[in-house]
Amino acid sequence: MSAGSLAGGPALPGADTADGDARLGRFAGPAWDLRTYDPLVTAFGPLPVVVWVFTTRDLLTPALVGLAALLVILLLVRPPARVVGVLLLGLPVLAALMTVSFGVLTDPRAVDGTVLLATVGPFELWSGALATGLATSLRTCALLLLVLVGGLSTTGQDVVRAMVQQLRVPYRVGYAALAALRFVPRFGHELEVIRAAHRVRGVDHGRGPLAGARRRLGYAVPLLAGGIRHGERVSLAMEARGFGAHATRTERVVVPFRVRDVAFLLATWGGAAAIALVVVAALTG
Amino acid sequence: MPTTRRQSLTTRYLMTCAAIGAATGVLLVPANFVAAALAPTVPVLYSAMLGLWIVGPVLALALVRRPGAAVLTMLVAGVISSASPLGASSVLTCLMVGAALELAFVVTLYRVWASWLFYAATFVFSALYTWSAFVAFDAASMAPVVQALIVGLMMASALVGTWAGLLLARRLERAGVARGLAPARRGTPVVAASDPA
Repeated sequence: MSAGSLAGGPALPGADTADGDARLGRFAGPAWDLRTYDPLVTAFGPLPVVVWVFTTRDLLTPALVGLAALLVILLLVRPPARVVGVLLLGLPVLAALMTVSFGVLTDPRAVDGTVLLATVGPFELWSGALATGLATSLRTCALLLLVLVGGLSTTGQDVVRAMVQQLRVPYRVGYAALAALRFVPRFGHELEVIRAAHRVRGVDHGRGPLAGARRRLGYAVPLLAGGIRHGERVSLAMEARGFGAHATRTERVVVPFRVRDVAFLLATWGGAAAIALVVVAALTG
Repeated sequence: MPTTRRQSLTTRYLMTCAAIGAATGVLLVPANFVAAALAPTVPVLYSAMLGLWIVGPVLALALVRRPGAAVLTMLVAGVISSASPLGASSVLTCLMVGAALELAFVVTLYRVWASWLFYAATFVFSALYTWSAFVAFDAASMAPVVQALIVGLMMASALVGTWAGLLLARRLERAGVARGLAPARRGTPVVAASDPA
């Protein structure tokens, strides 16, 4: 995390210390911290694996992939204890829930040969259906964990910064997205004003769920109109300060692309290939 | 200097899309939490939430009528809604929706802005998305009634989302928002004189 550990780490490639440590911010950390990796690599690198897991139907593959992703999260991302607790306690509960709920939805005719476990009202739970449900739930958990590798190790803002610096997205587009983050508290304030204005004028949509929806729609239009007008004022202020006057701009936070990012990509794809071709084949024999 | 590109990416256009995207993102944060709770327990209801992801890009395209509005709006929505369970990956989900809707307008060279194209675009996108959800949930093994429910709810919710987006765009246009930003439409006056609002 700190600059000290960077200087003391002998295993780091030379490129890491080449330029501007101060501007690297939290990207100037040791290689075991996935938060120092390129956000594009951690967020989008596992995507081919995600697509592949989508198409699997067995139990073993998603279980192994999910386990690998969980290990990466626990060892390299090291989320706060609360998140670790939710992951370790929540995932089994989630898997069990999904096994039953997807099992109930399974076509009973497809699993006629198996044992009827329970009947609750119109729903029947067959053991074969439970196996199908377990496969679906393991697959969903594996997908969730793969996505969480990027989700827990980076933020939307850093993804935008990396898009600007590495994917050559026009910086005006990237900075518009970063500026929009400040719109959110503004919306909250605006909503209060609109609510008060409606109350003062005695706007009444009646009662019941339909009236509630109408009331929401009544908030939506002024809220959006206010937001867009605010955006227009901000755009004037930005232009007055010379935003977009030059073809390039300086960055306060530099997102580096280093040897560790390439290593992570290769390890992710290689690990998935190893699970697919070697481990599953060896275990199912 | 690419002047035409400069003109199409004005700061006003960028920040208008950013405002719509921020509103969509604020909507999607709770939606992501509800979806995370529904997907494992009641996947049928989860499929009815698809429309929430469609309102924003449809609204932006219908209101701004410029190339890239849907992608830009959903980029912002993704960044804002990365404060939900799946983190930064929501950027990708949102970009996917935005790009899929934008595609229909790319194909027609940004010359057709009729409502039918919006419905056609969402129909194609939701059909593709339904198929991917089918693969993910292994819906082929589910009871036929459940399959029909999932397909029906997904398509219906996508079309309702389109309808809501177009309605909001119409109302905003009538209120005079973003006036002068969208290229003037041929045939129809920008502000109808008979509007009660």
